[in-house]
Formats: sequence, structure tokens, C-alpha cells
Amino acid sequence: MKITRFDTNDDLIIVAARVWGQFGQKRVSLALDTAATQTLLVPDVLDELGYSVRDGEKVTVVRSAIGAEAGYTIRVARFAALGFTSSDFQIHAHDLPEGIGIDGLLGLSFLRQLNYEIRSAEGRIVVERVDGPG
Amino acid sequence: MSSEAAHVSEPMTWQQICERYPDEWVVLVEVDWVNDTDFEFQSARVAGHGKTRKEPLIQARPLRDKYESMGHFFTGRIRAPVVPLIFL
Repeated sequence: MKITRFDTNDDLIIVAARVWGQFGQKRVSLALDTAATQTLLVPDVLDELGYSVRDGEKVTVVRSAIGAEAGYTIRVARFAALGFTSSDFQIHAHDLPEGIGIDGLLGLSFLRQLNYEIRSAEGRIVVERVDGPG
Repeated sequence: MSSEAAHVSEPMTWQQICERYPDEWVVLVEVDWVNDTDFEFQSARVAGHGKTRKEPLIQARPLRDKYESMGHFFTGRIRAPVVPLIFL
């Protein structure tokens, strides 16, 4: 079991994530978003790690309350958040507004491999990996 | 700073970084992390800063060979977007 702390003063639940690429590793801020089916990173960060749209798997569309925007999926060599790591992890590359101060979203594509308890008033997330196939 | 060569600051705490570069994106190197899961660190050097997400990443690009690990963070308050970030 691992514990991740977050700042209860922020509007969103922000956690640190690490992403690896051919140019090293970057630690970034992601909003934990249980309403997001996918884990999302802005292309600027992926570019600096050595990934490009040419490495993308398919074009995708993000739908929100204000409409739809195109992006792409890509597999990163390694991704870690909440104390757990996934290899060959699929990320959705999409832009986000500058002003909100995050590099992406930590969505269910990563969270579903874990059991987690968000203790909002305490600013803690208690996490354990679910053992099972895959 | 975007047109300058990469410059790395002296070691600073997160509070000092936020005071020097308010409401900016920063790239940090030589970060003395407290653990693998949280944002907390003892000190770090600033290798780039700017008002846009991309600016400090470009500034720190010449340092990629020197620093295998970098952090990319916003020094201001994290604000919820006007519309929810729903991803279907």
C-alpha cells in the first residue's frame, strides 16, 4: 500500500507522474480524473521526451462540454504515478488550456489497475495494486 | 529568457522558486525529491521558466544530455477549468 499526498488548496487533485522517453525522464503534474477514461499528456511534454506524432498509433477525439478536439494515442516506454509503474503505457496526446497549471490527466486507463481511496479532507490518496491477470 | 542560452539557477526551495517566478511554468533539475510519489523536494535548480508551458521546456533542451531527469511544474495556483475535463 502506498500513500500519495496532494494539496487540498488546489481546485483539482494534482499528483506527480513520471514519464520516460529517449531523452530521459520528466516529472509532471497531472489532475487525477476519475471521469476521464484515458490518461492524457500535452504534446509539448511528449515532444521533449523524444516522442512525436509520427510515433502515434491513431488519431483520437477528446469530447468535452465545449466540443471536440483531435489528438492522438501513443505508447510511452514507462509511466509512473501514485507509486506504481506501467511499461509500454498508452497515453493520449492532447492539448490543455495553459492557465490551469497541469500537464495532463491521470485517468482510468491507469487507475483501473489499482484500488484507491481518495481522502480529500486529509489530502491523501491511499493506493494498492490489484493482483490479477495481466 | 527564452532567447538566452540555458542557465541553471542556484539550488532553491519550492517556496523560493514560487516567489521568484510567480505564476510561471518552470523546468527543474538536480531535484532532491523526498520520495517517488509526491511533489515535495528539499531543493532544485531552475533550468527554464516562462509564462507558457512550452517556454521552459525549450530553454532546458540544451541540458538534456546533462540531466536525465527534469521536473515540469507550474508555480501558481492550480485552477479548475471553466468546463469539466471529461474525456470520453
